[in-house]
Formats: sequence, structure tokens, C-alpha cells
Amino acid sequence: MAERRAADDQLRAVLAAAGASGSWDWDIAADRLFVDTRFADLYGLDARNLADGLPTSAFFGAIHPEDRPRIRIAVAGLLAGAELFSKEFRLVLPSGETIWVHGRGQSHLNASDEPVRFTGLLVDVTERKRTEERLRIAQSAGGIGTFEYSDGFATVSVSQEFCRLLGLHPAERLPVRTINSVLVDGSAQLIPEGTDAAAPKALEGDFLIRRRDDGAERWIARRGEVVREGSGPGYRLLGAIYDVSDAKRTQAQMQALNETLELRVAEALAEKKAYADVIESSPAAVTVLGPGYEILAINRANIDAFEGAFGKRPEVGANFLALFDDLPEHRAQQQAIWTRALAGETFVTVEEFGDRALARRWYEMRFSPLLDRDGLQIGASSTSYDITDRMLAEAQLEQAEDALRQAQKMEAVGQLTGGIAHDFNNLLTIIIGSIDTALRRLEPDADPRLRRSLDNAVTGAERAAALTHRLLAFSRRQALNPRILDVPRLLLGMSDLLSRTITEAIAVAIDVPDDLWQIEADPNQLENAILNLAVNARDAMPAGGQLTIAARSVALDEAAAPDDVEAGEYVAISVADTGVGMDAEMLAKVFDPFFTTKEVGKGTGLGLSMVYGFARQSGGHVTVSSEPGRGTTATILLPRAAADAAVEPVQNQERVALGRADETVLVVEDDDDVRAYTVGALRELNYRTIEAHDGLSALRLLERQDQPITLLLTDVVMPAMSGPELAAAAIELQPGLKILYTSGYTRDTIMQDGRLEAGVELLPKPFTFKTLASKVREVLDQ
Amino acid sequence: MIPDEIALNELERDALVEIVNIGVGRAAANLRKMIGDQVLLSVPSIEVVSRQRAARLIGERELAGLVAVRQDFTGPFSGRALLIFPETNSLELVRAVTGGALGVDEVLEMEEEALAETGNVILNSCLATMANMLKRSLSMTIPEVLRGDGATLFEVDFASEKQGLVLFLYIDFSVRNHNIRGYIAMLMDLPSLATLKELLDEFIARVVGDDG
Repeated sequence: MAERRAADDQLRAVLAAAGASGSWDWDIAADRLFVDTRFADLYGLDARNLADGLPTSAFFGAIHPEDRPRIRIAVAGLLAGAELFSKEFRLVLPSGETIWVHGRGQSHLNASDEPVRFTGLLVDVTERKRTEERLRIAQSAGGIGTFEYSDGFATVSVSQEFCRLLGLHPAERLPVRTINSVLVDGSAQLIPEGTDAAAPKALEGDFLIRRRDDGAERWIARRGEVVREGSGPGYRLLGAIYDVSDAKRTQAQMQALNETLELRVAEALAEKKAYADVIESSPAAVTVLGPGYEILAINRANIDAFEGAFGKRPEVGANFLALFDDLPEHRAQQQAIWTRALAGETFVTVEEFGDRALARRWYEMRFSPLLDRDGLQIGASSTSYDITDRMLAEAQLEQAEDALRQAQKMEAVGQLTGGIAHDFNNLLTIIIGSIDTALRRLEPDADPRLRRSLDNAVTGAERAAALTHRLLAFSRRQALNPRILDVPRLLLGMSDLLSRTITEAIAVAIDVPDDLWQIEADPNQLENAILNLAVNARDAMPAGGQLTIAARSVALDEAAAPDDVEAGEYVAISVADTGVGMDAEMLAKVFDPFFTTKEVGKGTGLGLSMVYGFARQSGGHVTVSSEPGRGTTATILLPRAAADAAVEPVQNQERVALGRADETVLVVEDDDDVRAYTVGALRELNYRTIEAHDGLSALRLLERQDQPITLLLTDVVMPAMSGPELAAAAIELQPGLKILYTSGYTRDTIMQDGRLEAGVELLPKPFTFKTLASKVREVLDQ
Repeated sequence: MIPDEIALNELERDALVEIVNIGVGRAAANLRKMIGDQVLLSVPSIEVVSRQRAARLIGERELAGLVAVRQDFTGPFSGRALLIFPETNSLELVRAVTGGALGVDEVLEMEEEALAETGNVILNSCLATMANMLKRSLSMTIPEVLRGDGATLFEVDFASEKQGLVLFLYIDFSVRNHNIRGYIAMLMDLPSLATLKELLDEFIARVVGDDG
């Protein structure tokens, strides 16, 4: 017995050295407990009495009260026949400290399988317990399940978290097949199944599972180690699993994002390429220069334009300014604007470029700085548009605007002139009429100085009338009375007049073919126009020369017709001199009213403009060509008459035509003086005359006429009722009544397109005794 | 779900686990003697669940058909004990028990008998130990072999409102080099479970005494 005790002591020493915290030997038969000193230390027992044993109840003495029933039950089990005792429980040490111990024991059976001894070790597992606790918390907090599998067994030792992750009922051991059954795809197994399964090389793997409890599909990662047991084929798997669904999803999203990123990059590149293509094919010239004026980029349009302007094709990398080395002017111009741009300025400028020998073009250039990612300037770019065409169009527009302004000016002058002419001609009528009357009443033996004075007065009044007439002519407000004309005859008739006007130093030639087309024009005005041109020609040849008046039939097509002239058949009457001529600047102004090359006092400046007005009013045109020193040729174009017709003879009556007493003339005139003069003159001409100062009075006289009225002589422009209105009402009262209008300025009331309406007779103011007599006689005799 | 009068507290559960552990230990020892190979015993977990839940629990774990050895027991508490294997394990178990000396035909022929005998050893060990520890006696019927799924074995009557209860003991008895695992289930009615609980309390009082 003592021998055995010694051996036990030895065993205990070994066990103590191995880390056992204490050992016990429960003699079931003797109902005594033997413990070692370390056990006694833990339990706070007196170490001196150990050899005699302790009551078995001492085994439970230091066990934490909460664990004691559990351990009592376990010990009872062992004493009743269980083979193994393996429990973890707490001990309360004499110091008051609580530690965790693992009690591991075994029953010893006698021959009849009855337990006789119960021996075991207490091992301090506090550290391990804490570690386990930490591990448990780590597992549940981290969602990590652990497993341990021994090769050949059908079950796997698992943690609670392991079960939870797979949606299985919590258990400490699970069949391999149960674990693998959660896999969606059975080709790879979480745990090797079957006895023949070879040891896996590694445990790294991701598995798609369907959780057993909620049916959710999840991704589970498996990690761990394959532990070889000795040299045999056996192995153990120690591993952990955790849910990686979120990571997988994120990964999938990342991948999707990555794929779309590629797509977006591709799109961005395509967009960039599109931009590049647009710029490359843009008609705008694009230039990008670096800080040293080196070309960073230049598009095709620019290269082509550059070649067109300078005969060189610039290339990327070349120094931009060096391209202008042989053109110092351009180099300075380019350097000036690019220096601004490279200094960071954003601006727009219009520049003219190009070799003078090649095409010079205008460019609108927009400059902006080129910045890098950090906003630092690394160059400058310009986008230029060729605006030469636009500039030309703008110039043309400006010309058109000038022309419009000119037309408006002419219109204004015309309005003014018309207004003045109306009143002025009334005054002149009175003056001329009164002097006329005075002259006729002058005794033959009167003082010749008196007659000369009156003649001078008439001449002055007639010049005033002519001036008024010219004003109306150039503003195209004169009343034309066109007839079918034979130009050669008209020119022949003018030869007297011309020779009186033109000095002898000038040779006059008239060059007119016999088969010239006829025209329709106002003969007096045409004579006036030709005379005007001839006088101008004379004045251009102070030292003498050749004056040629020619006429030709011309057919103008669209191309040959001057601006504002329709294609068609015309008679061109030209007046050419061999005088000083005019330069282009003067030529551009010849039709302007009051423009004159003559000295102050020598001309009115209305000559050519009057000619122009007459020609335009007659459906024709006037052109003037001249060069300094080479003379001037003015050409009047007048349309050919619609049909050849009998030429009306130009009457030139010298004798005064008298009236008869049975011819009654109703004179309607709002100007009392004019009316008095007119009535006096008619009475002197032997007409019976009644008068009215306005249209309504005239109509009343017409209604109750004592003697039949033969002629209505009426002013055109009158307040309340105009001449034409009166005429219309009078014709209604007395059909067949003859009408003669008189007017200083008709304001278009009796005209159409600048001509008198057909059948309308007009006596222009100012009229003289003679012109009144002949016009009244003419109308009455029709 | 589980009535209070039969719900086990922690200590009662410990006691029952311990008692069953002794029984399983004895069964393992007997099995070891029969098979001659290492038998791994897990500490069983114990649950009192409805028959449906028991059927679901086992269905969750076992996908193939099941084979069971059934023994009815009567005494202070009565019920029906089941030793359940996956069907695929049964031949393996028979082969293990018979030591691999038999041919396939002989194994098939002996299967029922071998299963019944193995089941009898294990169930008897458990139930006898329980009866012994609780100081009562139980009488047992001869073993019977059943096949079917969890619902069949646990006699789940889906039409019935009445729910029988199952004392479900998961005992993993993996046998080295044989893929064998099994379960022990005890189907008991409410009064039997209440009696069991009382007997466990008696046992605890006896073992722990006034110390606890």
C-alpha cells in the first residue's frame, strides 16, 4: 500500500510539472478522498493531513455554489457507472479569487464492472476559458463559425455560429451530409464527404448556400488549415466560415462599376475623338501654341488657309513665329496678338492677313488661355473665322444704306420743293401776268427805259420759274406731257438754240441715224435735258473742243443694262465732250442735287440731277462716264415707244388766240390775286368769265348758270375740294364740260406714274398771257 | 408551446444529460465490444419538442430515408423509444457489427435482425440506466425495425390538433471508419414527461442534497 502511495506521489509530481493544478483519488469503497498538495492549496485544505484522506464531500467544498449541483450530478453519474468525468467548473480559492478548472476523471471498475475508484486531475483553464469566451464573442460578433472535422468521421464538430450561418439548428456536432446539403451547387463540398475523400489541399473557398431556416441565398467563405496527423493518411480540418454575401455583392457591384467604367471611358474617348474630329474638320481655323510659340495643335482648315495666304503648310512642333520670318510685318502682328494670348488674356480681335501677292483675308480671332489640370497656363488657343465675305457684305450693306439715305434725302428735298413750288408759282404767275399786262398797256412812245425795266423784270421772273421747274424736275415731281417723238427732228429743231448757247470755239456735231426708233417723252423736258448736258459740256471745255450729240437705237439685255434699268429697247442720246473730265470721286456725285464743278454763282448744281430726274420719270436712265483729261460722255436712255405712231407736231404758235363772247369760262382759284389776274386776262382775250374761290361756290354757279359754261378752268390744289373732285362733280352736272387744270405743283392728284392722266389738260403755273390764251384755245378747239 | 409543468430547468437538463450519458456510455461500451473498433460519443443534447418539430429537426439533418429501431417502454413514465439511423447507414452498421465477415447477400438477409439487436443494446442501455438512476423500473417490448421519413417515424398527424411531445436526444455515435450516426428519440405524452421531471427532481435532491 505504501508502495503504491509512493508511486502515486511520483505520478502527482509528474502531473504537477505537466501543468496539472491538482489531482484526486476518490476511493469509492472506502468512501475517502485523497488529494495532492496542489489540490489542497486550491481548496484551502490543511496539507499536513492529506495522507489520511478526506471525507468525499470535501471534493465539492471549493466548487462555486452555482456549479456545485451540476458537478454533484456528474459525480453521481460516474459513481453509478459512467466511465468518464469531464466537467468544467469554477473553484473559489482561499484568496477569494475564482478560477475555472477542468476536472477530468475516470472510473476504475472491478471484475464485476462495478466502480471502485474515481481518479482525476484538475487543470486550471481560466486562461482558456477567457480565450474561449473571447473566441465565442469574436465568433458571434464577427459572424465567424468554426468547425473541426476528423477524416473518416461522419460528423463535424461545429460552433453555434457555424450553425447559425448555415441556418441550421444549433448543435455541437453536425453530420457532414447535413452541412453539405445547404450548398446550392453540390459540386464543391464544404466538408469532404465519404471515407475515400482525399485530403483537400487547402480550405480557401467561397460557397453559395441556401440557408436552411429562411431559404436565403448567401455566400459563405471557408478558410482554415489541413492538419496532418502523423505520417498516415489521416487528417483533420480546422477552419472557419463566414458570410461574404455583402462583400460578394459589393464585389459584383464593383465589377459592374468597373465594366461600366470601361464603357464610360470608351464613351469619353469616343466623345473626345468626336471633339477632335469636329475640330479637325471645322471650317474655323484652330491654333494652339505653347509658351514658346511652338505649335501644339493646328487643324486642317487652318493649315489650308495658311497655305492659301502664305504658301506654307505649318506643322505641329514648328515655331509659329518662325513661319513669318520673311514677313516682318506679319511676324510683328502675330507676335503682338499671341503675346497677349500667352499672357493669359481672353479676347476677340479682327485681323487682316495674307501675302499681298496672294489672297488677303480678314479673320475674326478668339483667343483663350490653355490651362492644365491644376489651372496653370500651358499655352493659348485661337479659333479664327474667315470673315472676308462678311466684311464685303457689310460694305455692300453700308453702300445700300447710303443709297437709301440718299433716296430719303431726295424725297425730303422733293417734298420741300413741291411745297415751295406751289406757292412760288402762284406768286410768279401774278408777277409775270402783271408785268405782261403792264407791257401790253405800255404806250408805244413810252420811256424805253421803262420797257427795258419791265423786260428785265419778266426775265428775272422767268428765271425764277425755270429754277422752280428744275427743282421739280430733279425731284421728279414735274408734270410731264409725253408724246411720240422723232428724236432726229427734235435735235434738228434745237440746232439754233444750241448754236446760240455754245461758243464758236466748240465744234458741234450731231450724229443721228435716220432709222432711229421713236420714243415717247415730254419734248420740252427732253430739249431742256439735252440743252443742260450741252451747257455742261461747254463749261467743261473752256478752251474749246468737240461736242458730239449722238443718238442710237440700243437693245439692252439683262447683262448690258445698267443697275435700275430693265432690259429692253431704248434710244440712247449721248452728249460727249473732249473736256477736262472727272475723276471717280466726282463722278459718283454728279447726280447729287446742288453738286457742281462750276464756280460759285455760275450754276445751280441742279442740271444733271434734273436730267436724271426726267430720265427716271420717263422710264429711262442717265449714265455718265468720264476720266480726267479724257472728256465726259453723258447718255440719256429713253424707252422705245410702244408702237410707231404719227408724230405730233410741236406747236409753236406766236399769234395770240382770242376767244368769243359766247364762250364762258368758269375760273376757280383759291388765290385771289391769281384768280383776279386770270379773269382779267381771259376777259382781255374776249372770253365771258365768271369766277369762284372754291369748289362748292363753283358748283353752285354751275347749277344756276344763266349762260352755258363752256370751260372749267380750275386750280388743282385747293382746300376742301380739290380740282379733280370739282371736275368730277361738274361733269356730273354738265356732261361734256371741258376742263383745264392749272397748277404750280400737282402733287400727283392728276398724274399717274409721273404723267398726266389721259385726256387731262394742264396749264402749268406760272403762265403768261400768251400761254394762257393758247392753252385755253387749244382745249376749246378739241 | 411546451407546457411549464414539463419544461426542464437547467439542472434537470444537466441531470437528464448525465443520466443519458451514463446510458450511452454503457451502450457505447457494449457496442465497442460488438464492433471492436473505436466508437466516438458526443455529449448528447436534449430537447423537448413537438413531434412536428422533431420530424423537421431530423429532416433538416438527414436528407435520405431513415431506418429506426423502435421499443415501447412502460413504467412510471411510458412512451416509445426510437434509435434512428439514416437508411444508408444501416448496412454499414450491420457490416460493422458483423465484423465484415459476411457477404452482401448475407448482410441483406441479416440486416433486420442485426439492426434490431444493435438497437436493443443501445436503447436498453439508455433506458435501463435511466430507470436505474431514477430508482424506478421500466419494462420494454421487443425491438421492431421501421423505415420512412421523420414524419412517419414520429407519427406526425398533421390533421390532428393534438400534439404529442418528443424527448429528442441527439447522440452522435460516429464509428471510426464507418459512416454511422444516429439519434435517440423518446416519444412521451404529457403525464409521462411530467413524471420524468418529478423523478429528475428526486434524483437531484438525492445527489445534491441540502448542499445545492
